[in-house]
Amino acid sequence: MRVYLLQRLLIGFITLLGMSIVIFVLLRLAPGNIVDIIFASAGYVDPEDKKALIHELGFDKPLIAQYGSWIVHLFQGDLGKSYHYDVPAWEIIKPRIPVTVELGVLSILVAIALGVPSGIISAVRQDTWLDYTFRIFSLAGLSMPAFWLGMLVILLLVRNLGWVPSLLYISPFENFKDHLLQFLFPALAVGYRSSALIMRITRSALLEVLREDYVRTARAKGQRETLVIFRHALKNAILPVITVIGIEFAFLIGGLVVTETVFNLPGVARFLVEAILSRDYPIVQNLVMFIAVIVVLSNLIVDFLYAWLDPRIRYAG
Amino acid sequence: MKEGKWLQILRRVGRFLRRKPLGAAGGIIVFLLVFTAVFADFLATKDPTRTHPAQTLTPPNRTFWLGTDNLGRDVYSRIVYGSQLSLLVGLGSTLLGSVIGGIVGLLSGYLGGKVDLISQRILDIMQGLPLLVLALVMSAALGPSVWNVILAISVPLVPRAARIIRASTLTIREMAYVEAARALGSKEGRIAFHHILPNTLGPFIVLTTAQLGSAILVEASLSFLGMGVPEPYPSWGRMLSVSAAEYAQKAPWLVVFPGLAISLAVFGFNLLGDALRDLLDPKLRRQ
Amino acid sequence: MKKYPKMFFVLMGISALGLLLSSQASGAQAEPKYGGILNASHIADIPSLSIHEEATASTVWPMMPCYNNLVLFDPLKKQESMETIIGELAESWEWQDGGKSLVFHLRKGVKWHDGQPFSSKDVKYTFDLVRQAPGMTVKLRVNPRKLWYDNVEAIDAPDEATVIFRLKRPQPSLLMMLASGYSPVYPAHIPPAQLRTRCVGTGPFKMKEHRPGEVLELEKNPDYFIPGRPYLDGIRYIMIKDRATRTAALQAGQVDIAFPFDTTKTIAETLKKTNPDMVIVETSQNVNENILINFEKPPFDNPKLRLAINLAMDRRAYVQAVYQGGGIIGGAMLPKPYGVWGLPEEELVKLPGYGDPVKQKEEAKKILAELGYGPDNPLKVILSTRATASYLDPANFVIDQLKQVGIEATLEQVETGVWHPKVTRREYTLAANRTGIGPDDPDANYFENYKCGSPRNYSGYCNKEIDELIEKQSQTLDFAERLKLVQEIDKKLQIDGARPILGWALDYFAMWPYVKNLVPHQSVYNYGRMQEVWLDK
Repeated sequence: MRVYLLQRLLIGFITLLGMSIVIFVLLRLAPGNIVDIIFASAGYVDPEDKKALIHELGFDKPLIAQYGSWIVHLFQGDLGKSYHYDVPAWEIIKPRIPVTVELGVLSILVAIALGVPSGIISAVRQDTWLDYTFRIFSLAGLSMPAFWLGMLVILLLVRNLGWVPSLLYISPFENFKDHLLQFLFPALAVGYRSSALIMRITRSALLEVLREDYVRTARAKGQRETLVIFRHALKNAILPVITVIGIEFAFLIGGLVVTETVFNLPGVARFLVEAILSRDYPIVQNLVMFIAVIVVLSNLIVDFLYAWLDPRIRYAG
Repeated sequence: MKEGKWLQILRRVGRFLRRKPLGAAGGIIVFLLVFTAVFADFLATKDPTRTHPAQTLTPPNRTFWLGTDNLGRDVYSRIVYGSQLSLLVGLGSTLLGSVIGGIVGLLSGYLGGKVDLISQRILDIMQGLPLLVLALVMSAALGPSVWNVILAISVPLVPRAARIIRASTLTIREMAYVEAARALGSKEGRIAFHHILPNTLGPFIVLTTAQLGSAILVEASLSFLGMGVPEPYPSWGRMLSVSAAEYAQKAPWLVVFPGLAISLAVFGFNLLGDALRDLLDPKLRRQ
Repeated sequence: MKKYPKMFFVLMGISALGLLLSSQASGAQAEPKYGGILNASHIADIPSLSIHEEATASTVWPMMPCYNNLVLFDPLKKQESMETIIGELAESWEWQDGGKSLVFHLRKGVKWHDGQPFSSKDVKYTFDLVRQAPGMTVKLRVNPRKLWYDNVEAIDAPDEATVIFRLKRPQPSLLMMLASGYSPVYPAHIPPAQLRTRCVGTGPFKMKEHRPGEVLELEKNPDYFIPGRPYLDGIRYIMIKDRATRTAALQAGQVDIAFPFDTTKTIAETLKKTNPDMVIVETSQNVNENILINFEKPPFDNPKLRLAINLAMDRRAYVQAVYQGGGIIGGAMLPKPYGVWGLPEEELVKLPGYGDPVKQKEEAKKILAELGYGPDNPLKVILSTRATASYLDPANFVIDQLKQVGIEATLEQVETGVWHPKVTRREYTLAANRTGIGPDDPDANYFENYKCGSPRNYSGYCNKEIDELIEKQSQTLDFAERLKLVQEIDKKLQIDGARPILGWALDYFAMWPYVKNLVPHQSVYNYGRMQEVWLDK
C-alpha cells in the first residue's frame, strides 16, 4: 500500500510540474501583456517609457530565467508581485481562498444532499415515474448554465422581494446569518449542478450492487427492503460515489468562476477571470497553480480513501 | 436484403423509443437542433445582424417572435443562427478531441512501454484543471476566434478519450482474434483499425455525447465572460452577456430565450447520452 | 477667496435647475446632517490609485475625495465653465503678463494626511512631474496628460504660499485643466510609485482600506482645512463586476449611488419603475463614440471614400439604437445644452451623415459606384474594436449601416490591453472607438485628438490650417470670439471626416433620495470630491 501511495504522490507532483510549464508557456503566448495594459489607460504608448517598464518588470529576461525564478520563489512560498495592483500577489490571493473554499464545501454539501438520496430512490424505483422525475430534475441542473441560473435568481429576488444577498462580502464573525444567506444562493446554484453526476453514479452503483448475489440472497431470506438497501447495498455502492464526489469537488471550481462573478463574491475563481483579462501573470499563474493543487490533492485523497476502503489495494504491496 | 436491413434499423429505433422514452426525447431535441442549424436560412425571419433603431427592446410580437435586443435585432433569428455556432463548437471540439485522444490512446495502449508512460503523464496534466479554467486560460492565450475556442474546449476531451481507447486496446490486444490476425500476417496498423476500434465504439459514443453538451455549456460560459467566439457570429452565450444583463429587467426575453436555448440543447444531449449509457453498459440492464 | 455658497442657495440651485426627475421635490430641507457612510457602486477593477497615472473614471471617481486641486469646478454647479471654478488649495489666483503668467496664492496651514505641512513646493513638484520638466529625477510610470501642460515654460515657487505658472503663450484654458479631477496636487515627500497603492493627500477623506476587486473604503479626515467638512464619516466604494448585479444592488438599497455613466436611459426607466422615489439626474458624460478611419491605409487614403463612410452613418438612428434615445448627436465638442462649445442643431444638419438618412445613403452609394464598387464588387473592410460591450454595440451598428450601402465589414475584436497600442501604431483600417474628454474644454480635446503628430490622434488626420486654428483659439481671451473659432474648427473636422462622431451618450445618474448635495456635472471626471455630500437618514 505504501508503494502505491508513494507512486500516486509522485505522479501528482509530476502533474503539477508539467502544469506549471503549460501555464507559463500559455500565458506568454497571449497577445498583449501587462505593460500594454498599464499603458492602455493612458490612451497611447510612449516607446521609451514602455522599454523602461519592460525592464523594470523583468520581461526582457529570457523565458527560462523568468520561469525558473517563478518556480524557485514558489518553493520559497513567495508568490511574486501583482503587476496590476503593485502589491505582493499573496496579499490579494490570501483573503480570497477561504471564500472559495467555503463556497466549494457548501456547494458540495448541497450536491451530496440532493444527489445521494435522489440517486438511491431512483435506483430502488428504477423506471418508475419517480425515477424519471428525479433523473429529469438532475439532468436539467446539469444542462443549465450556472451563470444563467444565478442571473435568474438575482432577477427574481430583486423584482419580487426588492432584496438580494449582500454583494459586499460579510465575514462570518461579523454577522453569521447574513454571511450564510450570502453563500446560500450561489451554493444552491452550483450544488444543484454538481448533484447531477453524484445522483447518476449513486443510481448506477446501487443498481449494480442490487443485482449482486448476496443482495438477492438477503432479499430471498425475506429481509425488509429498506434494511437490504441500507445494510448491504449502500455499503458496497459507496466507493464509486466517494470517488465521484472527490472528482466533482476538484472540478466544482470551474463552476465557481461565473457564479462568483454573478453573486459578487470575492473569491479566487472570479479573480482569475479579472487577472487573465489584465494579463497579471503572477496572479494568474499562482491562481491556476492553486486550482491545480486542489485538483491533484482531491485526486490524492480519493486515491487514499480508495486504498483504505478497498481491501484489494489495502493488502497489496 | 436492403429492405431487410432498413427494417432492422427501424425496429431497433422503435425499441429504443419504447425502452428509453427519455433518451428518445433527447434524440428529438438533438434532431431539432441539427435541423435548425442546417435550415437556419429558411427558419430565420430576419437578418440576424440587422438593427432596427425604431424598435429596440420590443417585446415578442408578430414581427419579432421573441422580441428584439437593445440594438433592435431580432432575437428569434439570432437564436436560430446561434444554433449553428453551438453545434459547430460542440461537433468541432468533440471531433478534434476524440481524434487526438483516440490516436494517443491507440498508440500508448498498443505500443506500451515508454510511450505509454510519457503519454499517461501528459494526459494527467491535461486533466489537472477544470474544463472552464483551462478553456479560459487557453482562449486568453490564443485570442478570440471560433477555432481557438474549439481547440480550447477539445483539450479536456483528449485524456478521457485516450483512456477509454487505451483500456480497450489493452484488453483486446491480448485477445485471441488479434493474435490470430497477427499470425495471418496482417499489418499492425490494420489490426488496430479493424479490430480494436469497433470494439471501443460503445463507451466512445457515451463520452462524445456528454462532450457535445458540455462543449456548448463551456462556449456559453466563455462568451458570457467575454472570452468566447467573437461577433459577428450570433452566439447564445454572448447574447446572455453584458447587454442582456443590462436590460434584463426591462426586457426579460433577452435573458430567458437564449438561456432556454442553451439549456434545452445541452439537456437534449444529456438525455440522449444518459440513455445510451444505460443501453451500452450491460451491467445496468434490467434482467 | 471664493466662498462656498450657503446651503439655501445650493438647494435653490438644485431645484431651479430642474435636475430632479423625481416626483418628490426636495424643496424645504433642514440643516445638513453629519455622519453616516455613503455606499457607492463601483464598476470594479481600479488599475492603480494614482490619478496622475491613469485616465479612467475607475481611478478618479474613488480617489478624488482623497486629494485637492489648486482649483476645482464648483461641485454644486451642474454645468462646468470658467465661471464655476472655485479655489481649493489656492485661495485666489490672477493672470499677469497679458495672460502669460498664472499666479496662485495658496492656503496656509494645510496638512497632508501624514501630518506633513503642505506648501508651494508640492504644487511645483506635482506639475513639474506631470509635464516632465527638465531636471526632474522622479518620473511617472505612465503619463497620460503630459500634453495638457505642453505650454508651460516654468513653474516658480517664490515663497511658501505662492506659485506661478509661466506660459510660452497665453492659454486661458490652463485653468480649466487645473480644475479637472485629473489634476490633484501630490505630496513632494512621497515617491509617486507609492501613490499607486496608497493615498496621501490633503482631501476631505483619508484612505482606510483597499481590498482590490472588493471594496475601497475612505474615512473622514478630521483635520480637513475647510471647517465643518466633510459631512460623511466615510465612503465605501463597493466593487461589483456584473452590471445586472450592480443594478440589483442599487434597487435593493445596498448601494446609495450609482457609478457615473453606468446608468443608461433604459436602466433608469427600470429603476424608476421598481423604486419610484429613486432620484435620476440626466446629465452628459463628455464621452463620445466615433469611427476611426486610417488616413494612410488604402483605400481610405481616398477622401471620397472617407466621405462615403461618413455619409452612410445615420446619426439619429445611432442614438435610437445604441442609447435607446438616451443620447444626443453632435460634433467634436460636447453638444448643447450640456456642453458649452458644441455646434448648434442648424449647423449640424448641414454636415455629412447628420441630414436625411435616405438621401445621404444614396449619395454614399453613388460615390462607391463612382469608385468602382457595387453589388458585384463590394468593398470589403475589417472593422476593429475593443472587446467590451460599450465598444461592441456601436461597432455592430456601424457594420449594419455599412452593409446598407453595400460595404461588407467584418469585425475584429481587440482585447482591451492591446487596443491602444494597436490604434496608436495605426494597425487598423476602420475602427469603432470611444473618446473621453476630461474637462469640457477645446484645448483638452483638440490638442490631444486632432493635432498633427499627437500620439492620440489615432486616424493620422493632419491639416496645417486646422493646427493653426487650434493654436489661435487657445490664445483667444474673448469668449465669443473663441467660441466662433472652436465651432469653425469643429465643422471642418466633421467635413474632413477627421474622426466621424457617432453620438454622445447621456448618463442617468441614479441615487437614493436621502443622498444630498451630490450634483453630477457634464463631465464624469470632475465631480467626485464628496466634501459637500450628506445623508438625510
